[in-house]
Amino acid sequence: MQAKTRDTVVVETKDKKLNGILMPVPETEKDIVILKLESGYNIGIDKKNIKAIKLVKTFERKKEKTAEVKLNKKLPTISILHTGGTIASKVDYKTGAVSAKFSPSEIIDMFPELKKIANIKSRKIASMQSEMMRFVHYNLMAKEIEKEVKKGVNGIIITHGTDTMHYTSAALSFILEDLPVPVILVGSQRSSDRGSTDAGLNLVSACYFIANSDFADVAICMHENLNDESCLILPALKTRKMHTSRRDAFRPINTTPIARVNFNEKNISFMKKDYDKKNKNKKLNLKLFNEKTRVGLIKTHTNMFAEEFLAYKDFDGLVIEGTGLGHLPNEEIDEYTKENKKIFNALSDMIKKGLVAVMSSQTIYGRLQMNVYTPMRELQEIGVLGHLSDMTAETTFIKLAWLLSNYKKEEVKQLITKNLRGEISERVEDKTFLS
Amino acid sequence: MQLDYKKLNFKCGIEIHQQLDTKKLFCNCPSLIRDDKPDIIIKRRLRASAGESGEVDAAALHEVKKEKQFIYQAYSDTTCLVELDEEPPHDVNKQALEISLQIALMLNAKIVDKICFMRKTVVDGSNTSGFQRTALIATDGFIETSKGKVKIETICLEEEAAKIVKRTKKEDTYNLSRLGIPLIEIATSPDIKDPEHCMETAKKLGMILRSTNKVKRGLGTIRQDVNLSIKGKSRVEIKGFQDLRNMPKIIENEARRHLELLEKGQELKKEVRKANKDLTTSFMRPMPGSARMYPETDIKTIRPDISKIKIPELITDKSEKLEKDFNLNKDLADLITKSGKIDFFISLANKYKNIKPLFIADILMNSGKEIKRRYNKEIDASRHIEEILEHLNKGKISKEAVFEILVEKANGKKIDYKKYLLMSDEEIKKILKEIIAKNKGAPFNALMGQAMAKLRGKADGKKIVELLKKLV
Repeated sequence: MQAKTRDTVVVETKDKKLNGILMPVPETEKDIVILKLESGYNIGIDKKNIKAIKLVKTFERKKEKTAEVKLNKKLPTISILHTGGTIASKVDYKTGAVSAKFSPSEIIDMFPELKKIANIKSRKIASMQSEMMRFVHYNLMAKEIEKEVKKGVNGIIITHGTDTMHYTSAALSFILEDLPVPVILVGSQRSSDRGSTDAGLNLVSACYFIANSDFADVAICMHENLNDESCLILPALKTRKMHTSRRDAFRPINTTPIARVNFNEKNISFMKKDYDKKNKNKKLNLKLFNEKTRVGLIKTHTNMFAEEFLAYKDFDGLVIEGTGLGHLPNEEIDEYTKENKKIFNALSDMIKKGLVAVMSSQTIYGRLQMNVYTPMRELQEIGVLGHLSDMTAETTFIKLAWLLSNYKKEEVKQLITKNLRGEISERVEDKTFLS
Repeated sequence: MQLDYKKLNFKCGIEIHQQLDTKKLFCNCPSLIRDDKPDIIIKRRLRASAGESGEVDAAALHEVKKEKQFIYQAYSDTTCLVELDEEPPHDVNKQALEISLQIALMLNAKIVDKICFMRKTVVDGSNTSGFQRTALIATDGFIETSKGKVKIETICLEEEAAKIVKRTKKEDTYNLSRLGIPLIEIATSPDIKDPEHCMETAKKLGMILRSTNKVKRGLGTIRQDVNLSIKGKSRVEIKGFQDLRNMPKIIENEARRHLELLEKGQELKKEVRKANKDLTTSFMRPMPGSARMYPETDIKTIRPDISKIKIPELITDKSEKLEKDFNLNKDLADLITKSGKIDFFISLANKYKNIKPLFIADILMNSGKEIKRRYNKEIDASRHIEEILEHLNKGKISKEAVFEILVEKANGKKIDYKKYLLMSDEEIKKILKEIIAKNKGAPFNALMGQAMAKLRGKADGKKIVELLKKLV
């Protein structure tokens, strides 16, 4: 019988016999066999050097038994909905296999602190890396949240890949109208198969916050800094992943965090006073995305070409990540800048034909002011929106797509720069920059 | 009473950990171990990673760990986000990989077809990530010793752990400057015949490692762990050998301890022990279970390329050659090879043909010690020797002046080479004549003594003798 991945085998090469377990080999390395030796080390052996692979024992997946979780009537109930990522993955050291664990007992097993905070319900609703998501997944999440709300849970946690967590948080903020309980998104920057994972503190802090505060809105819960001490509850519509790998990658933009949770000290301190509070009388209403809506996001740069814009000519909406206060290269100022005029004409044409174009800034921080210089006034003239918005490009993108899904085009143009869910700050305080 | 190790069924193997002198294994930080005041302090906790359940009660384990906080000290200028576990590892340091392949070849080992880095779970906080990155580079090597071949089972390349600063009940403090320094781990088979043989094996392995000229030197940069058992009973690991010369006695004492326990019918525990100053050993911790390892998915598997790896000459061979080629005595030749300054010495000896290599070797190796002894001043002769030899080689200064200039340098003075310029024969003769005139009838040696005192550093001794002889 031919040996398969994770079977125990003896590999015979020219000069020796090696005992071990066959490991999965990446698609890109089909010329080797990876063997986990008895010492625990993996080595790669060239197939051409192998005389025979003899099967010793076929792999049997161990059945793990987990205890029933008892309900504690004194504690609130929290539903954890998993969408993927590695927040609840588990490594089998014998075979190196990583498997995801989602049942309530498995979650309690991994994060025993949760037992004292709440009754945990847990299930998987998707299994994907967050950059793979499409609008349909936002709708799917919203519908699952609605189910949980109807069951009467005290709060919901969505575990999520971090890369586009701020897109999802924005999307859910718009979809979930009159939310009676909190929905907190939690991710991790260090996977949970390692001792140094940030998943545990992020998840436990989110649960503690749901169980011990009156907050009832969509938010993100991630590490405040590099210490395993406190997490921040961040506004769903004004947060951005600002680092590829740090634990504290998620930062509020043009605003402050909502609250700080220090689980070790059992302490919650609010930085915002004005937030939506729990209210069982509120009736959740879903305003879903139209999955067919097509919105683009274009970043302007020097030496740009009209074709770059023209790629979006059949789209419903386009968010422009312009420079500074809201610029894009739209003026012919000398013999070398004729292309800029083409860009302007192309954009003007596309808007005339029905495209909704909205400005945002690649500076990330700060507010647009599209009256300051003449070229921006010209952009406003042809219908580029966004004047005085301080939304991130990502939030602008989500908002535009959601508005186009739910409102008539004329309404969309009005609402895009109107604050609906806290996405636009009326005042921006000094301390919010790079904090 | 002498022990008969063969009769005792003495089984002994050695494991060597040696730091490499390159940048860190998975980032571009210097391998600079520090203990000055850190400007970064990070507080972390380790979680029972889920995979441990099944083997250990995860909840129980978790409770233990939950209580403990880890404080990490770091430095903005010599540690980065990788050591802080805030950035994934970069690609493996090429130089460190090359050195490990070089060592594998020097140990006659078979290099694996493809190198897979692993994560070895570490729960004591000494790695910010919760694991140590390690890879098996080669297997099945050997070295020749006076008592036959000692097989090398494995050669691994791994990350050094962070250095413990302080342990308290609630928190452990580590310094991250050491974390991530490349470490070669060499494990022999239990082929070592007796305690003396163990020392010989350790010394030989150390010599081979130093022959690459790319390993770190000094206290703590190489560590030897000795595994031993007698009469097929429990194996014990001894750590913390400070001085290899004491290794045989410590091993002998440990074997005697085993024997005593067995004779008394007491239980011999499988454990890790520490070598003490009085050459006994004491309990350190229970023997760890088999390592929990899983693939380091952030690093691609590596196909080792040995086509460009050069095997360096062993320093013992180099030393012999040095004796012959430059007419040095054995002690001085050994001193140079051990110091790692061999290539520097050879370049000096070849460059300054008018100077005897023996003189260069003596200045290079001994002048610093001599200045320390005589004047209690520190100076690294190798930093100044070229500049001084340049003058000597051109015959501008005397041999005697070389030491004096180093003394001046040790005193922090700026050197005015004009002061040391050699006198012309005429000038020397003039002074000699004056001395002879003042000391009429004095014996030759007395005159010579006075002449040397007056002309030291300004004329070559030989020349003075020559001229004085003519004048008397």
